[in-house]
Amino acid sequence: MAELYVDQSRCQGHARCYMLAPETFMIDDEGYGFVREGREGSYDEENVRKAIRNCPERAIKIRGEEEAK
Amino acid sequence: MSDNQAVMNDFDFHGKALDTIFDDYVEMLDSKPVGYSNKYGGFWYIAKSDDIFDAEQDPETWSVGPSMLLPSFGTDMPLIPIDIDPPTHAGFRKILLPMFTPMAVAKLEPGMHETAQSLADDVMNSTEEAVDVSALFARPMPTIIFSRLAGYPEEDWVLFDRWVDEIIYDRTTHPERAHAAGDELIAYMDKLINQRRNDPASYDDITNQLLTAKTDGRELTHEELLSYGYLLFLAGLDTTAWAIRAALWYLARNKDAQQKLRENPKLIPNATEEFLRTLSPVQAMARTALKDTVVRGQEIKQGERAVLVFGAGNRDPEVYEAPNDIDIERENNRHLAFGGGIHRCLGSNLGRKEVVISLEHFLATVPDFELAEDAPWHGVGPLKIKINKEH
Ligand code: SF4
Repeated sequence: MAELYVDQSRCQGHARCYMLAPETFMIDDEGYGFVREGREGSYDEENVRKAIRNCPERAIKIRGEEEAK
Repeated sequence: MSDNQAVMNDFDFHGKALDTIFDDYVEMLDSKPVGYSNKYGGFWYIAKSDDIFDAEQDPETWSVGPSMLLPSFGTDMPLIPIDIDPPTHAGFRKILLPMFTPMAVAKLEPGMHETAQSLADDVMNSTEEAVDVSALFARPMPTIIFSRLAGYPEEDWVLFDRWVDEIIYDRTTHPERAHAAGDELIAYMDKLINQRRNDPASYDDITNQLLTAKTDGRELTHEELLSYGYLLFLAGLDTTAWAIRAALWYLARNKDAQQKLRENPKLIPNATEEFLRTLSPVQAMARTALKDTVVRGQEIKQGERAVLVFGAGNRDPEVYEAPNDIDIERENNRHLAFGGGIHRCLGSNLGRKEVVISLEHFLATVPDFELAEDAPWHGVGPLKIKINKEH
């Protein structure tokens, strides 16, 4: 099953994800992005797609697909 | 071809050169995406978006030393965190990252709205025929917002514009002036830090955060505090002023876009991204090769300088449709205005918000406006507009 996640080794905490799709992404206390619990399957939603396309580090990925589109 | 070579051999990204730099980008991207310029001691420029992205993701090949700034910002001390490589870099960055998250920035929003509105009112109340909205609006906005956040006392703010002008804008033509102003800024930071050391408990601002922070289990040294403070001052004041001014410059010349944003302010955040992509305050930043490497077929030797030309990458036809058009409704906009990788601008969420809120209040308060006289798109110099008050 495909699963949306933030690659912690790439994320630099720019929070584009949270700004574009706040119901799916959140920023931790240190400033880095993560996918909210229960939102791992939301990768086809329009604003999540937009976040994936706009993340400056290309850090938002989908496990189970070779790479986030 | 020889003509084009000549242009690229003295490729420059400061001052007057910015007037025509977008033409340089078209040529570079079209015929020579990696090339050598003799300016500033010589450097390889890297113009393609993907190549810039790859270099930023690869600090093992590309060092930010001796400085990301070429030429330097009126000082020889390495600036924290931008001139620091891994592994030391991460600890410095972590100290301030929590102060620039969207949640932290949201707390500053009421103050931003109030300030932007009162500055927009000043613009409307001006009795001048041609109102300088750089001096009255674009520059004071970040000075007020960032100074409050950093903890610079209000009575000192009058000093700041000159330091920014001399350190950042005069450094290519009058390096001695930039260094003299740099010395003044260092002395100012030194005084501020010493004052605060005696009284840390009464403040909740960036200066205090730096004074009490730990990196690697220890506090920052006095030199480190000076360096971090120096960088934040310049980064916090200049870039945002440029971004606001550039957006107003564009809107003054494009009534359709001006009208569209006035009628539909929800488009302003999107438009802001587009202004950042196309008219960014940071057109390029330098690196130094730590080992021999190859970029797009071009060999670059260990120790050679390279300049990542964000402004060119932001107009790369392989990444953006009609890259030289400013389309305020553009959707796919993964631009390089804030750089990328571990050194990507720490204040991007703050800077963006300041621009968005500034434009919201400006457009809601100031009716139809146009340029009163020609002005360059870049920098923080005067931007005189004529306001059509009958509208
Ligand atoms: S947009 Fe990308 S880099 Fe920024 S916080 Fe989200 S995942 Fe991290």
